Amino acid sequence: MQRVKLLLPDPADRGSQRCRLGPGLMSALSLRLGSPLLVSVPGGSCLCTAWPRSDLAEGFLQMDLKCIAPTLISQPPVHLSLEPRHLTPVSCPKLRGVKVTVVVQSAGFRKHTPAWVVHELVKDMLKGVYVHKQYVVNMEDYDTEIRFVVIDGIRPDSDSAGMVTSKTAVEISGIQTLRHYKSQLLDQHTPPLGGLDEVSASLREMLQLPLMYPNTLSSLGVSCPRGVLLIGPPGVGKTLLVHKVVGEVGASLVVVRGPEVVGSRPGESEETLRAVFERARSAAEEGPCVLFLDELDSLFPRRTGSSAPENRLVAQLLTLMDGMNRSDRFLIVGATNRPDSLDPALRRPGRFDREVIIGAPTVQQRKAILTVLCERMPVCPRLNMTELAQITTGYVGADLSALCREAAMHALRQKVKGSGKQEVEMKHFLEALKSVHPSSLRSSLGRTELSSVLWEHIGGLDQVKVKLRQSIEWPMRYPEAFVRLGLSRPHGVLLYGPPGCAKTTLVKAAASFSHCAFLSVSGADLYSSYVGDSEKALALLFRQARSCAPCILFLDEIDSLIGSRSNNQTPNSVQTRLLSVLLNEMDGIGLRVLERRGTGKILQTEGVQETHTEELDSQEVCNKDVMVVAATNRPDCLDSALLRPGRLDHIIYVPPPDQQARVAILKACTRSMPVDPDVCLEELAAKTELYSGADLENLCKEAALLALLEENMEASSISHTHFLRSLSKMSPSLTAQQIQAYLSPSR
Amino acid sequence: MSEPLQEALRRSFVSLEKQREVWRSVLEECSPLMEALGNLAEQMSALTRVQLLDTPLRVFPQLEELLRVKLLQAADTVLQRLGENMCRLQSIRDSISSQASALLQQYQQSSVDLTMLTERSATVPSLADMLQWIQDAERFYRQQFLQRKALLQTLRPDQLLLLESAPKRWKSLESPSADQQITDSLCRLSLFIQPQ
Amino acid sequence: TNVSLRGTNLRCTWITGSARKIRDNAADWHNLMLRWDRLNDEGFNLAASIVNMSSQGDLLVLDTCPPPSQSTSAEAQQVAGAAELQDECLKLQDVVDRMVVVVKKMEHLVEIQRGVLQLEEFQFGPEGRRVPLCLSWKTREFEEMSGVLLAAFSQELKLKQTILQEVAHTMTSDLSKVYLSCWLHQPFIPAATRLGLEALLLETGHRPL
Repeated sequence: MQRVKLLLPDPADRGSQRCRLGPGLMSALSLRLGSPLLVSVPGGSCLCTAWPRSDLAEGFLQMDLKCIAPTLISQPPVHLSLEPRHLTPVSCPKLRGVKVTVVVQSAGFRKHTPAWVVHELVKDMLKGVYVHKQYVVNMEDYDTEIRFVVIDGIRPDSDSAGMVTSKTAVEISGIQTLRHYKSQLLDQHTPPLGGLDEVSASLREMLQLPLMYPNTLSSLGVSCPRGVLLIGPPGVGKTLLVHKVVGEVGASLVVVRGPEVVGSRPGESEETLRAVFERARSAAEEGPCVLFLDELDSLFPRRTGSSAPENRLVAQLLTLMDGMNRSDRFLIVGATNRPDSLDPALRRPGRFDREVIIGAPTVQQRKAILTVLCERMPVCPRLNMTELAQITTGYVGADLSALCREAAMHALRQKVKGSGKQEVEMKHFLEALKSVHPSSLRSSLGRTELSSVLWEHIGGLDQVKVKLRQSIEWPMRYPEAFVRLGLSRPHGVLLYGPPGCAKTTLVKAAASFSHCAFLSVSGADLYSSYVGDSEKALALLFRQARSCAPCILFLDEIDSLIGSRSNNQTPNSVQTRLLSVLLNEMDGIGLRVLERRGTGKILQTEGVQETHTEELDSQEVCNKDVMVVAATNRPDCLDSALLRPGRLDHIIYVPPPDQQARVAILKACTRSMPVDPDVCLEELAAKTELYSGADLENLCKEAALLALLEENMEASSISHTHFLRSLSKMSPSLTAQQIQAYLSPSR
Repeated sequence: MSEPLQEALRRSFVSLEKQREVWRSVLEECSPLMEALGNLAEQMSALTRVQLLDTPLRVFPQLEELLRVKLLQAADTVLQRLGENMCRLQSIRDSISSQASALLQQYQQSSVDLTMLTERSATVPSLADMLQWIQDAERFYRQQFLQRKALLQTLRPDQLLLLESAPKRWKSLESPSADQQITDSLCRLSLFIQPQ
Repeated sequence: TNVSLRGTNLRCTWITGSARKIRDNAADWHNLMLRWDRLNDEGFNLAASIVNMSSQGDLLVLDTCPPPSQSTSAEAQQVAGAAELQDECLKLQDVVDRMVVVVKKMEHLVEIQRGVLQLEEFQFGPEGRRVPLCLSWKTREFEEMSGVLLAAFSQELKLKQTILQEVAHTMTSDLSKVYLSCWLHQPFIPAATRLGLEALLLETGHRPL
């Protein structure tokens, strides 16, 4: 049999439950006029009665969506072509009883209309309609307050469908508003949430207890919490969490977005806010309800002295929250990433009683988030989520989802080019990591593009390298060994030595090896003409660094940045103040509450954690700090307080290169240069006593330039003479005296 | 064509024509009542808006309450009469409904097949068309009745705005196009109905 | 059962004396109330037209102020309107005057009733006569009922007089509406007064049992 094309229903048939078919198809399916018929379309099906088309044309189908599966409400079928097997005649006996839920337009109608009136109307509306179990009967054609009737069950329930007659008993099990019903339909497909299990469990508990068991709570004499404040940096999933939990609990959600409330007329905003509360109150009569105020700080900032319009809005919110009585069974959830700018009056018991802090995700949480995100992506099965989680420190949920998207895009681009399978692999993620940076670090002043430097690029200095790896790389790589031996990661490392001896490069190499975030500041970044600004900037820098810990905070030329109190500087100079900030930040009394990682333990989870989680945990524990790495060539200028254990406790001297080291450096520098075989690096090294690494690099450059000069741009290699001649023109930047000064016990 | 079914249809359409007349006359009776109701609502809201203490009527302390009671009583009376009219409308609807369902039942019990059902001539429309028209008419009256009933039953004396707008909404429920369709189908049937 | 028995027995005593007086009074009450109702209807129509006119008059003044050329005709129109308004007010005054007469007559009826009561007290002592004059009511009850009716109507008359004073000078449409609905619905004559009258008529045999 041929396929039939689904057309839009004829307006004249609206509400008639007819399905217009060609007479040929009707007789093929042995349907008579008015026989019930189930039409399956993608996403659901529709129960209707067969009627011949008035033009008797075959190949088309028009049906009135009177009784449909709930999923079809939001997406009615269009532009489809159906096969005859999608049409199934059903037997529809007369029903003895039907149990329904009525969906009405407005809360006012639901509240004020007596039950018998609704019953009479619904009974009249249902008469003569063929209904199917769990389907929805559309009553919009009647144009009354009653929009839908959900068929919860039918009697006798031996059949799944039947016809309502005047003798059918209609039982109304509940009345809902359209808004509530639609939100329930939507809630059935919310995306899964990774890594927020603990906080969502605690939020769910808070929602469920007072909303589901109000009587129990009141019998215990406990007043239920009215408000919950979610605090966390942007992108950790506060909004998503609320949507998800609300959906799980089955509560209805009233969302307030900032601009919706604020109006231009005086008093308009307050009015809107009152209306929102009224809406929540009426929604709460149908079941648990959550009033969600997103971006709370933008709406209700700290009140200022003048009569700003925000003050009135804050006052209105306070009044409304105080005016909620126990019978108002709804909960207010606020979300903000700047709790400090909220009005303090909001943050007291009775208003926002509970505060849930969602920090940047830990390794475990990141792993969970990544797992959820990658579930729907064709990822390579060899992809190691743990590794990915480890290298994405400081990434919040939104960043991770951007990362996955970017990785998928890379995979897609490759596939379009014709190479590679349609699988997202680790290399795509690594590629994406270059373009997606953690949002907490955006606009951070220490954010630097870190070109990766390998240890091999640095010649010599083997001992220093080992020391650096000990203090930076090992805690990352072998956390369990550190935990076993009770070692704690060093707080800070000071590299000192004569200028030009690769201190900065060493730090870069260490950072690029340990996969941690890297922030670097110099004096110019911090100085500001306003009093107190520099200190604030430094504190902010530390906060950002902590938010994406493990992190290396590199203070280059620390002597210029931070003064010493012992020097005869004025005690209130910027440098001394910066010093005190730095000292405070380095061994301050723990983290501020808002910077907590993960969610903290809100609920005591039972059971023993698995071993591999323990490993990740220990890594988390060891690495939650920021490591400060400072470099200076004037260690004598530093304040002695900075150098005591617990602050910059590893003090590493980066010596000027000795002869062996110079050979290595020259080798490293000339690796990319075409040098003649007669070049003897050992000889050069012997002749370059007191040359620093930078000097040696310069020497190679000079030699190359000389070669170009002499051979007129056509030089293909650099000969030994070039080196010697350029060496003769240069003098070492270091002096023996200088080096002696470093070597002698400082101070 | 099936004679008995055709005969039944003919009878139904004749009775439908009569019922329409009655329906129309009942609705005509209703509209002044609705006007009166709206008028009373207007008076009530005027009474609510006026602060009697600021007017010369302040010498009658009980006036506001007494007048309100009077107005509510009057509204009750009007609603009662509207209710009686609604009962008449309901009986018309019920009779049309029962005719429509009886016709469908008669068809289902008969042996009329699809070709017979869709066969039409210059003077006589097909059985399917006629069944459709009678069902359409039934749906129209059912919908009309339900909408009017819903309107009346959701009126409450404390919702003056709702009460004031009632006559307008009552009028807006008239759907001339649907009514016209019934007229059209009856016109098309005139040759079929008349010979008898 | 006792009451109805006695009632049938005493049907013959309607003809003369106090019983006759009470019966005639009841009929008068009925007629006066009918007359009142007619006057009320008449007055309502007048009041409604006064309200319409005064609101239209305002519009007229507002509309015709700017163009000076038409001012004479507009003024003439306005003057004509004012005259008409005055005329209607006088008619309403007349209606209220006739209502005053009705209430006066009602007062007279109450006095007669009181006289009958006093006579009875003189004849039979403060307890009154044992056997009711009519069906079941004591003479005192007749007197009380007339008092209630009179109180309602005189209060209503006061209201009407206030409305008469104010209705032409009211600018706000809401207040005009309140005046009109007061006039129409007669808040001081509750449904109970009508029922009282019916009871009176029933008691005195004007209405069949």
